[in-house]
Amino acid sequence: MRDFLLGLVFAIGGGVIVAVARTYPTMPTLQFGPSLFPTIIGIGMILGGVLLTLTSLTAWRAALGDSRGVVGRFDWRGLALSLVPCALVVFYILTAEILGAMICMAVSMLALMLMRGARLWLAVIVALVVSGTIYWLFSRYLLIPLPEGLLLSQRLPFSSLSLAG
Amino acid sequence: MDAFLQGLAMVFNAQTMLVIVAAAIFGLFVGAIPGLTATMAVALLVPITFYMDATPAIAAIVATSAMAIFAGDIPGTYLNIPGTPASAAYVGESHRLAQQGRARETLGTNLVCSVIGGLFGTLVLVFVSPSLAEVALNFSSFEYFWLALLGLSCSIFIAIGSRLKAFLSLMVGLLLSTVGLDMMSGAPRFTFGVPDLMAGINFIPVMIGMFALNEIMMFYASRDESRSVPVMAKDSVFRETPRHLRRYWRNVLRGSSLGTLIGALPGAGADIAAWIAYALGKSRSKQKAKYGTGHIEGIVDASSANNSGISGAWVPALVFGIPGDTITAIVIGVLYMKGMNPGPTIFMEGGGQVYALFTVFFVANLIMLPLGYLAIRASKVFILTPRKILMPVILMFCIVGAFAINNAVTDIWIMLIIGMAAYVLARNDFPMAPAILGLVLGGTLENSFMSSMLKTNGDLLAFFERPISAGLGALVILVWLLPTLLKGYRRLRPSKTGVPHDTP
Repeated sequence: MRDFLLGLVFAIGGGVIVAVARTYPTMPTLQFGPSLFPTIIGIGMILGGVLLTLTSLTAWRAALGDSRGVVGRFDWRGLALSLVPCALVVFYILTAEILGAMICMAVSMLALMLMRGARLWLAVIVALVVSGTIYWLFSRYLLIPLPEGLLLSQRLPFSSLSLAG
Repeated sequence: MDAFLQGLAMVFNAQTMLVIVAAAIFGLFVGAIPGLTATMAVALLVPITFYMDATPAIAAIVATSAMAIFAGDIPGTYLNIPGTPASAAYVGESHRLAQQGRARETLGTNLVCSVIGGLFGTLVLVFVSPSLAEVALNFSSFEYFWLALLGLSCSIFIAIGSRLKAFLSLMVGLLLSTVGLDMMSGAPRFTFGVPDLMAGINFIPVMIGMFALNEIMMFYASRDESRSVPVMAKDSVFRETPRHLRRYWRNVLRGSSLGTLIGALPGAGADIAAWIAYALGKSRSKQKAKYGTGHIEGIVDASSANNSGISGAWVPALVFGIPGDTITAIVIGVLYMKGMNPGPTIFMEGGGQVYALFTVFFVANLIMLPLGYLAIRASKVFILTPRKILMPVILMFCIVGAFAINNAVTDIWIMLIIGMAAYVLARNDFPMAPAILGLVLGGTLENSFMSSMLKTNGDLLAFFERPISAGLGALVILVWLLPTLLKGYRRLRPSKTGVPHDTP
């Protein structure tokens, strides 16, 4: 079932890519140009996607003939849990400028550890120590301008701004 | 001679040696924790190596990957869970030995075989690549086009599992490689008006997404935290090793040479090397019946092969700029960033850089012996580190690491989107290696094709006019036809032994 859908996604995506590639200019001396490779890739995706859809249909039909209830219940809980880390990445992107990278990281790590049932004291210590270490390592040693945030700005002994100034 | 000494000096200094030891310990941890792969270790390491000189940066990558591949055997032996995919081939064998009270003996033999395998691959790298480079100096865009196409074709045909899925995975990688300004005409492609995408997609965030974020998502999607109880170990680490080596020296040599060869083939890395070496060792063994019951012979073959594969993958990466596995795919990106463009000229440039590179391989492999010994004695530390504490930490390194390459938030978005896409694909048995190779080689493939076409005014036959180019072209066509030919051969001669080809 999933292969069926993924095959469709690939086929439709390939079609879109070919359509977009048609709009690219061609080289003056050749008949083809920047559109050639994206077009080939798009066609590859269409063919591969259609083939995947068709083979999954055959496999599906064979499985249905064998036994009932092959298609298990979809694991919605697993899907939701697997999206938590992604949501936290988005949380970091959106709030790091305001909260600062250190607080964002500490909050995210704490949330993830508690979600999987880590002990509170251990989670708090690890979150604080690791976020402090990463911040120090990257902004002081590697000179990466990690966002300081409005709360802690100019107060950290090892901020990248104080280094520059 | 001067260059050689200069090369030694670039490695044997406090900073580089410290980096090697630290990287090896890092590799040990990542490799020993199930669910974290050697490629992930390297992808997470790159943002840090970005700020080092070329030699320590490469040293860090070599030491991390070699150590991670060995360390993957530690949880495999104690818990029956492979630490990295490269240990999966013989995890049953080593765990059964551990249950017989021979855990340390197994790991000790394993360690020595890994070191020998790594050194064997290094020797091949040292002796073969300079002469290959001399041949490669004559290559023009025609040959590079075929080489890139050969690498991409291998990644599909060697892939374990569905070739169709490997092909689609490759298409995704190639598509990502076309993002940005077109090299020939300067037209922007798939940039969606985002200025950061004009220069193309940086592949470090892609790697982090594909190999780290993807694994983190897998971890949170799976429910059980339950761990099997590790078996106890009281035996000696190295006492039995000389006996095993004397008895199975042929297996060590066979595993190492096979591993180097498979490692050098694009798209196939340490994991496939271990599977094939284990299968070949079994089919050639005099004691086939003992396989699967805790027989050290299979471990000798496969653990030599996976480490030699790691070194072997560097041969095409350095000589042609064609990565042999996912780790060297990352390495190629690092080399470009360091201004050491992979390709034959790397061997011709003066200075000690090449000698330093070779020395790094020897040192990184030899340092595995003492560190590996300590790791075997202290295995409990690695086995009991809970993943629920580690995964959040790794996620933070993913975010900061993706950001650090260009100080751009766009790269965090790229990491996120690619990670989610990789998660969906990997959950549905799409292999990731073809996508990475597509991303790394896509540019080479397109640019060499376009510049060849400009030279010959669009005459496609020119690809077969130069002798080496024609030979490589024929090889590509052979690789494409190989599955059909093999199928025909099998139909004509039904095999009696029933060689298994459905290895997971």
